[in-house]
Amino acid sequence: MNEKLRETVFRLCMADGTSGDETGARETAAREFAPFAETSSDTLGNLTAEIGDMGSKTHILVDAHLDQIGLIVTGIDKSGFINVDGCGGMDRRVLPGSAVTVYGKEKLYGVVCFMPPHFTGSKEDEVQEAGRMTVDIGCTCEEAKRLVKPGDRILFSTEPKALLGGRISAPALDNRSSVAALVRCVQILSGKRLSCHVTFLCSTREEVGGQGAVTGAYIANPTAAIAVDVGFASQPGVRPEQCGKLGGGPMIGFAPVLNRAMSEKLVSVAEKLGIPYSRDAMGGDTGTNSENIAASRAGVPTGLVSIPERNMHTPAEIVDLQDVENTAQLIAEYIAEAE
Amino acid sequence: MAELELLKKLSEARGISGREDEVREIILDEIRPLADKIEITPLGNIIALKKGKERAPKKLMISAHMDEAGLMVTHITDEGLLNFVPVGEIDRRVLPGKSVTVGENVRGVIGLKPIHLLKKDEMSKSIPLSKLYIDIGAASREEAEKAVKPGDEVTFDSVFDASGKAIKGRALGGRAGCAILIGMMRHGLKYDAVFAFTVQEETGLCGSETAAYGVHPAAAIVVDATAAADVPGVSRERQACRLGEGPVVPFMDKRTIYDRAYYDMAFRAAEKAGVKCQAKQDIAGGNDAGAIHVSREGVRTAAVSLPCRYLHSAVGVISREDFYAAIKLIEGLAEMIEEERSDRHTLC
Repeated sequence: MNEKLRETVFRLCMADGTSGDETGARETAAREFAPFAETSSDTLGNLTAEIGDMGSKTHILVDAHLDQIGLIVTGIDKSGFINVDGCGGMDRRVLPGSAVTVYGKEKLYGVVCFMPPHFTGSKEDEVQEAGRMTVDIGCTCEEAKRLVKPGDRILFSTEPKALLGGRISAPALDNRSSVAALVRCVQILSGKRLSCHVTFLCSTREEVGGQGAVTGAYIANPTAAIAVDVGFASQPGVRPEQCGKLGGGPMIGFAPVLNRAMSEKLVSVAEKLGIPYSRDAMGGDTGTNSENIAASRAGVPTGLVSIPERNMHTPAEIVDLQDVENTAQLIAEYIAEAE
Repeated sequence: MAELELLKKLSEARGISGREDEVREIILDEIRPLADKIEITPLGNIIALKKGKERAPKKLMISAHMDEAGLMVTHITDEGLLNFVPVGEIDRRVLPGKSVTVGENVRGVIGLKPIHLLKKDEMSKSIPLSKLYIDIGAASREEAEKAVKPGDEVTFDSVFDASGKAIKGRALGGRAGCAILIGMMRHGLKYDAVFAFTVQEETGLCGSETAAYGVHPAAAIVVDATAAADVPGVSRERQACRLGEGPVVPFMDKRTIYDRAYYDMAFRAAEKAGVKCQAKQDIAGGNDAGAIHVSREGVRTAAVSLPCRYLHSAVGVISREDFYAAIKLIEGLAEMIEEERSDRHTLC
């Protein structure tokens, strides 16, 4: 039943879009929205798709960030190894020995270097900072310099795959699974008469500060907003009160920055639809674009919906497709009911 | 190019120690038209006789191993996650976040706690094996048990790339050796030789031990890969060997002191063939020679290895030039071994 949705998520995850270099992901996402909405892009590379009654006083912004964490090239050493640093909150523990794709002059395949165990001495337990790591593309210094420049981005060469029971794994599910939920939402609303104006915003640079959402929200100038992102799903090492659950439905955020009435409205819509959901209470920062959007211009009432995800910020991210579908259903119904 | 296509096929095949079936089938398909006699031993080694233009003065066995290091499922948790142990030598630092295939064809990933929830000192620590697990997306033990069981093999998902001068891929140690042996069989030989494709090298040389017993050779060449430490942070004198500097010939490793005459001969063979060759400048590691050279009354043994970076991980890197040079070097070495005039061991 979710096969089409899975294909959409996989297409989005296979596109490259490291923070600040989201062109590949933006073009892919634009193709997904195009049959259903007018799309456009702006100075910081955000993608917007608009539907509904453009003259309505109610203008809902639905945001999902487009970018993904990765590595950025900082230099090339005399043996042709590529010096790198993290671009976004890279988990250095997953880097050693990973197959990666360097988006240089052409696509190049490499491996993140690590020293053989007997060279690390007693430091075998230590994983060095991403900024001290190198990528091996098997080239001499001259070849490497011809093909790769500082500023080029690097991503894991891990293909999306289906796991058991409708779960899927891919790098970039944070946050392409949410982008897919937005695409699905537009599909659900297609052909329906809406009494509000809706802007879907696929914003750039969330993993490095949310600059895309700052300018995107300013341009859209909405009367209300919903941010869609991934949230922690239960897994070993994560306390139950910190997380939702794979297959447990969208996590509806409750936090100081979030508009309480919108959060409760989202809950009542989920109840009405009969879809599973969880209340995701956070005492401080939500760590999403909600903060940036809520503080836009004179302030925007904002809600947050998160798709439960395991292994966040690793090439082994996992979500449940049914949660993506239910997130889309929840937001679509919220929009359909908006006056 | 035919060799590289074969190497890709072999590298992408799944075959941890004791589960070499897929690799064995590929090799058998390749060598059936090439070999004069093929035998599969009780433990699963392939022993193939290839006749040369001339009869061999002494029985030479050229071997490479088919297996790769990987993981094995040991237990399924109530949450449907899989505990595992390594099979062979795997560097645990490369495990977190990797994609794997379990059993017949169940996809999974090695999970880890998100970085956002780590304490500061946890961020820079590699994760102990006991805390790692495989997530196949099962929602419960029952769902997982329908798909996998303890004892199922686990392999890293393969990434093979030979578009540049370097070749990147999984299980290159043994499989590059297998591709070299098949390449030699395709080229044809001056003297008869026995080619052994062995099992269980990564877990203790049981395959080569029994292969050598059965073949009872007078001389042996072991073809494998050896760890190259020519990566940033390792000083040149400690790198053991370097990619692109030619096949590596060891004089000694943790398991074997190699036949001195054959060691010298390997360098002469390289010179004659016009290819590079380097000594292994470290006494580390070991390979099938460890079992072969002590078989029965003892076997004069040489090893020719491909320098390989990131040997005990999901993806290694070898040099295309070294790979082709190894075929030439071993062909020359095999002839020199046969043509060696004074065999000092038979003089006494």
